Formats: sequence, C-alpha cells, structure tokens
Amino acid sequence: MSATLALSSAGRRTPDMLRAIALPITLLVAWQLWAMTLPDDTRAPSPASVVAAFVRLCASGNLPISLAQSFGRVLVGFAIGLVLGVSLGTLMGASRAVRRNIEPIIESFRPIAPMAVLPIAILWFGTGTPAGLSIVGYAAFFPMLLSTAQGVSRTDRNLVQAARTMGVSRFRILAKVIVPAALPSILLGARLGMGVAWTAIIAAELAVGAKSGGGSSGGIGQMMFIFYSYSIDMNGIVVCMIVVGVVALFIDRLFRIAERHLIPWRQ
Amino acid sequence: MSDTMTRPKLRLDHVTKEFAAPRTGLRTVAVSDVSLEIQAGDFVCIVGPSGCGKTTVMNMIAGLDKPSSGTIEIDGAPITGPGADRGVMFQDYALFPWLTVRDNIGFGLRNGTPGRGMAANDVEERISKHIELVRLGGAETKYPHQISGGMRQRVALARLLANGPDVLLMDEPLGALDAQTRLILQAELLRIWGETAPREERKTAVFITHDIAEAVFLSDSVVVMSSHPGRIRAVLPIDLPRPRDEHVRAHPRFAQLSEEIWELIRDEAYRAIA
Amino acid sequence: MQRSIEIDSPLPVSPGNPARPTLAAKVAGYPAVLSGLVTLRSFAVFIAIWWAAAAWTHSPLQLPTPLSVLTALKSLAIDGEMLDNALTSFTRLAISMGIAVVVAVPLGFLMGLSERANAYIDPMVEVLRPISGIAWIPLALFIFGVGDVLPVFIMTYVACFPLLLNTIAGVRGTDRRLLAAARTMGVPQSRIVRHVVMPGALPTIMVGLRLAFAGAWSAIIAAELIGSPSGLGFAIEWYRQLLMSPKVFAYIIAIGAVGYSCDVALQALQRTLTPWARGTELA
Ligand SMILES: Nc1ncnc2c1ncn2[C@@H]1O[C@H](COP(=O)(O)OP(=O)(O)OP(=O)(O)O)[C@@H](O)[C@H]1O
Ligand SMILES: [Mg+2]
Repeated sequence: MSATLALSSAGRRTPDMLRAIALPITLLVAWQLWAMTLPDDTRAPSPASVVAAFVRLCASGNLPISLAQSFGRVLVGFAIGLVLGVSLGTLMGASRAVRRNIEPIIESFRPIAPMAVLPIAILWFGTGTPAGLSIVGYAAFFPMLLSTAQGVSRTDRNLVQAARTMGVSRFRILAKVIVPAALPSILLGARLGMGVAWTAIIAAELAVGAKSGGGSSGGIGQMMFIFYSYSIDMNGIVVCMIVVGVVALFIDRLFRIAERHLIPWRQ
Repeated sequence: MSDTMTRPKLRLDHVTKEFAAPRTGLRTVAVSDVSLEIQAGDFVCIVGPSGCGKTTVMNMIAGLDKPSSGTIEIDGAPITGPGADRGVMFQDYALFPWLTVRDNIGFGLRNGTPGRGMAANDVEERISKHIELVRLGGAETKYPHQISGGMRQRVALARLLANGPDVLLMDEPLGALDAQTRLILQAELLRIWGETAPREERKTAVFITHDIAEAVFLSDSVVVMSSHPGRIRAVLPIDLPRPRDEHVRAHPRFAQLSEEIWELIRDEAYRAIA
Repeated sequence: MQRSIEIDSPLPVSPGNPARPTLAAKVAGYPAVLSGLVTLRSFAVFIAIWWAAAAWTHSPLQLPTPLSVLTALKSLAIDGEMLDNALTSFTRLAISMGIAVVVAVPLGFLMGLSERANAYIDPMVEVLRPISGIAWIPLALFIFGVGDVLPVFIMTYVACFPLLLNTIAGVRGTDRRLLAAARTMGVPQSRIVRHVVMPGALPTIMVGLRLAFAGAWSAIIAAELIGSPSGLGFAIEWYRQLLMSPKVFAYIIAIGAVGYSCDVALQALQRTLTPWARGTELA
C-alpha cells in the first residue's frame, strides 16, 4: 500500500494511530504547560481555556449565529460565482473565438486578489452583506470558469460526432454530451471555488470589521475582529480559527463525496 | 420506380480530402480523387493499408467531414451534414463513459431522431432487444470502463443497430474481438443486414476492415485502397452465393478472391513494415 | 489532441512536391501576431465598456473614468509612491517565499523519503492546512502587532502548504525505474537523492512554487489591508477611506500588474530550471 520509496527502512513498531496523534498531543500538552506557568490574569490562550471559550460561545448562541451568517453568505456568493463561471466557462470552452476574445481580460483580472477588490465593493455596496457576496462571487468565479472551460474544451470530439450521427440536436448535445463530459472538471472547480470562497468571506468580514469599526455586518470574521479589538479575547479568536478550519475541511470532504456520487463512471 | 433501381444509394464523385496541420500549415492529402457508386442493399467492404484514408472516406459519407473537392450524394441528394439515416460505428467506439451499457445503446433512441415518435416502452423494448442481440445481458448496468474491449465493441454495434439506420457505416467494427466471437458476429451481422431478406429490404453497408477473409465473407464487392495519397486501387465484385455460412469459406472461389485481394495490397503491406 | 483546420477550396497540389502553405495556413503560422491583435481588441472593448459605464452612471466616486484612473496612475508613478509601496509588498513577498522554500522543501523531502517522518508530521499538516492564512490574522495581530512581520508571517504560512505537498508528491512520484537503474549502477543513496530524486521532483516543486506564490499574493493584500501601515494592500484601503477612487483603481491595476509579472517570471524560472518538464502547467 505504501507508494513511498522507503529509502529509509521504517520500523513498524509504533502503531499508526499513535504516531499520528503523537505530535499534535505533544504540542497541545506543551502549550497547556506553558500557559500554566503564566500569571493567572494572563490573556494568553491555553487549550483548557479555549475549550471553555468554545462552550461559552456555543451556549450564548454567538458562535452558531455568526457561523450561519458567514456560511449563508458563502452559499449565495458561491452560487453567483458558479452560475457566471460555469456559463461563461462553457462558452469559452466550446468556442475558440469566445475564448480568444475573453481570455486576455480574464487573465488580467486573475492576479487581482479578491481582497483587492474589497475597497471597490465597499464603495459600491457599503459595508453590509452585498459587499461580502460580491467578494465571494468574485473569488469563486475564477476556479469555476477555468475548470469548466478546460473540461468543455477537452471533451472527446468523437463523442460529439457520434451524437451528431444519431441526429441529436445541438442543444441536446450540450446537455447530454458536453456537460457530462465536463462534469468532473466542473466539480473540481466547484470544490476549489468553494474553498477560496470560504477564505474570502472570512477575509472580507475581518476587513470590513477592521475598517468600519465593527459595524453590524456579523459573521465569523467580524467576530474575530471584535475579539481582537474590543474584548481582547484570544481564546475566542482561537475558537474561531478552529471553527474556520473545521468548516473548510467539512466543505472539502462534502465536495469529494459529491464527486464520488456524481461521477460513478470514474475510477 | 426504375429511377430508384438505377440510381445508386451512395455516390462519391472525384472526392478529394486534404488536411492542414494548424501550426505548420503542412498539408496531407488523405484521399485523392475517389469515385465510387454503392447500390442500395449492397454490402461493401473497404480494405487497404493503415493510413490510406478509409476512415476519412467514411467520415465524409457520414457528413462529419466535408470533401475538399468533389461531391458525395445519398439518394441523389448531396450530403450536407450528419444524419441518423447513416449510422456510424466508430473505430474507437465513441462510447459515452458516463453512461451504462444500456444507456449507451439507448442514447440515439432517447435523444436523437431515431426514437422520435416512439412510445417510451417501445424504446425500452427495442433497447433490450439489441442488448440480447449482442449477448450483453449481464452487463447492462456496467460502465464502459468496467467491460472488456470486445464487449465495448459489441455495445457500439448494438447502439448502431438500435438506431435502425438505412446505411450502416462501420469502421473496423469487429477488430477487437477474439477469433471465435468474430466469426459468430460476422454471420450475425449478415443476418441483421438482411441477407435472407429480398434485396429491397436489405440495408446498405459500408464496412472497413483489415481482414481480407472477413471482407470476402461479408461483401458484395470489396474496394481496395492504396495510400500516399489514398486512392481506389480496384473494386472487386464478390460473386459468392448468398446466404452465406461457414461452408462458403471452403469454396474454391473464396480462396481465389482472397488471393486476388492479397495480391493487390501485398506490395504496400510489405513496404509498410520494411 | 492535434486538431486540423480544413481547407475548403481545392488547391492544386503536385503529388511529389511538398504543398505550399495556403494563406489561412500562413496566418495560422503566425499565431502570435494574430492573437496579439485580438488581445488588443479585447482590451479596447473592455475599456470602451468601462468608459461608457462610467459616463452613464456618472458617479466618479464609485466608477471613475479610465482617463482619471490613468491620470492617478501617472501621478502615483511619478512621485514614486506607488513604486515604494510595490517594493515594500514585493520585498515582503520575496522574504516569505524564501522562508517557505527553506522550510517546506527540506521538510517535504524528509516526509517524502521517510515513511516514519511522514507518519508523525503529516497529521499535524492536515490539522493546520484547512485553517486559512487569513484566519491567523487576528491572532498574529496580537503576537506581532501591526507592521512588517504580520504580512510576512501570513504569507509564509500560506506559501508553505502547496510547496510542502508538491515536494512530497514530487519526491514520491520519482520514476521507480530510474531509481532501480541508479541502484543497479551501485550509486549510493545520498547521490540517488541528489541526482535522481531531486531532478525528478523539481517539476512538481516548481508547480508548487507557482501555487504558493498565487496563494501568498492573494493573502498579502488581506494582511496589508488589515494589519500593515504600508504596501499595496494598505494603499488601496487608505485611498478608499480618503474617497480617492481613481487612486484606488490605480492601485488595483498595480496589484494585477505586479502579480502578473511575478507569475510570468516564475514561469520563466520554471522553464529554465525544468526545460524537460511538460504538462505541469497550472490547471
Ligand atoms: N484530422 C486530421 N488531420 C490531419 N491529418 C489527418 C486527419 N485525419 C486523417 N488524417 C490523415 O489522413 C490519412 C488517412 O487517415 P485515415 O484515418 O482515414 O486512415 P485509415 O485508412 O482509416 O487508417 P487506419 O487503418 O489506421 O484506421 C492519414 O495519413 C492521416 O494522417
Ligand atoms: Mg481508420
């Protein structure tokens, strides 16, 4: 099973599970011990106080509400990016003329990070949800577009021709041949897009919080900012970081499972 | 009436096809000045060395490629594009990887013109019939990557036949089969084509193969092509009696015709491997 | 996947001689010129649309005209402010990428070569990886405060993962036949790593470097925007607060230009270091 080149022959004395948790546990214990040497009124976080903060934030409902806010924005923004990215990507992949004309513009926008357009989004939409949505949509758009275009343009030409010899209409060929052929690429684009969308919403909320002195936009990112600048709650920040990571992991796994179920012909 | 008797089903008139490589602009003459008439109900085999333009000719008849010059007509009308009246079985099968065996066979019936006006359960029945025809009963729900090369070829064949085209265009359809299955399917193919039926009810078939014995066994005439550029070297009528069965292979005329065809392509075949 | 264009008009081709290229083929033979023209046209159309939209909305605060952005770009370029900010950001980027390479590549070799090291370290990597660099900003603000260290820390963190994972993948993907060949020639292990594994892994590592850059470049804007008093990310937000939209747009163009140039430079580096590598383009 090991695809590794075992140049150093590793002894299998320690069980896998133990080896896997060895480093994280060691670090956690070291962190806890270090925190216990600090004076009692310290603001430095420790594993124990992070757990306490997590329980407190869940009980007060702050964390679930913020999470729902951020996640809702990601879903809507992602849907916008998805629709735009997939439709434009299909056009780009199917027609070389469209691709030649649009690609230079797309390529010039690609190195402009989502956060760089946040100031414009604030100028256009203010500091509320629409600004966040536009950043998320912008971030998710590029991976969706590029993967879709690639998937469509790599569709096996023979399959399209086979369908044409059976008298299948152009529209049906698009729906029944090109889209299924590109589906693996589209799903990959969706997974990548959703990943960057989640990062982008945290960044946007954080920045909107930082730049509008809190405001009322809400979300995990803003919650982190409030912990930073008002309540000076490092434990809360660490809780938020962990939640952000767990959600990212969850999104990734969800899309992978979806890929397995939606592409049963792959293997 | 007499008009349809004399007018060929397919007519290729001085057809030439050139390709140009996109970057270099270098041109290949794939097919040069090919003229050919195929009567309705004929079974025609095309043989010739690899790269001589067999697939190119077939693609042009299918309407997937346009000739660079010359014309191709079906029933006296020029071919303008692909249509379900000419069914194609592609050299690499062109099966949809995301569809099961059953859905692949039913693709044209469900999405294209062949199934138009048919009731849904008639369509399903027709699909089932063709699955049985190529003996793929147990594999209906498998995906193309889960079945063997020979099975894939049979799926492609079933898909072609299920669409019920007038003209069957087949590009080495039995190439990947083992020798026994191949013999069985050759006979089966003749039956489906309409060997036992009166001539008017037979379909028109164009069949590309590398196997000379297969060509002789199946066809009414064999078109021998040569390459560089792709031309027709000779058209040999196969005057063996129909219906044919295994015994026809023992016929002295069978050996004689095979020998004649081999003579025509031997030089080039040897040159190709020299 | 060689596709061909068809020649519709029949042309006389003498059998023996190589065919003379047609006009269409000639044009296709100079795709650079043609696509250059198409690109120019695309930009012209884009700017025309922008201009029309600016004229139509008539709100210079939200959508300044291309001309006013150009003027702002010029003045920022002339007084050197833009160059200062770009250099600040670029220096931070270069330092972070340097640290990331020094940390992640050797670690990747270790994890790729040793099953045991991988078993211990990989779970930790998998725990940290989903936590985006952005999410570290508030904590990093506590630890490092507002300044130079924060963006460098965030970018290094972001750049490490693609580099690490690609290095591991590259090391593991080394062609086993090459390894076997080297072994049968009696080459010692250290030399196998140096002369077989390293060149074998380099193309994948270079792809990792480009991915790392893309991530870092996107993160620096966030980091500077929130936690730094200088740099390109800081500048756009600064001018937004001053409501000087043309300068905001000018800086966004600068961000795109610097990002694009860096990627072009990395691609050139990739081609120089791994001229034999094919198909390792970013998706
Ligand atoms: N799309 C294309 N672009 C460029 N050249 C082509 C194209 N299609 C075919 N050719 C060339 O035309 C010639 C004939 O090709 P074709 O595929 O028709 O041969 P074939 O007789 O079917 O060969 P095989 O028996 O190997 O299938 C070959 O030299 C081939 O390289
Ligand atoms: Mg062929």
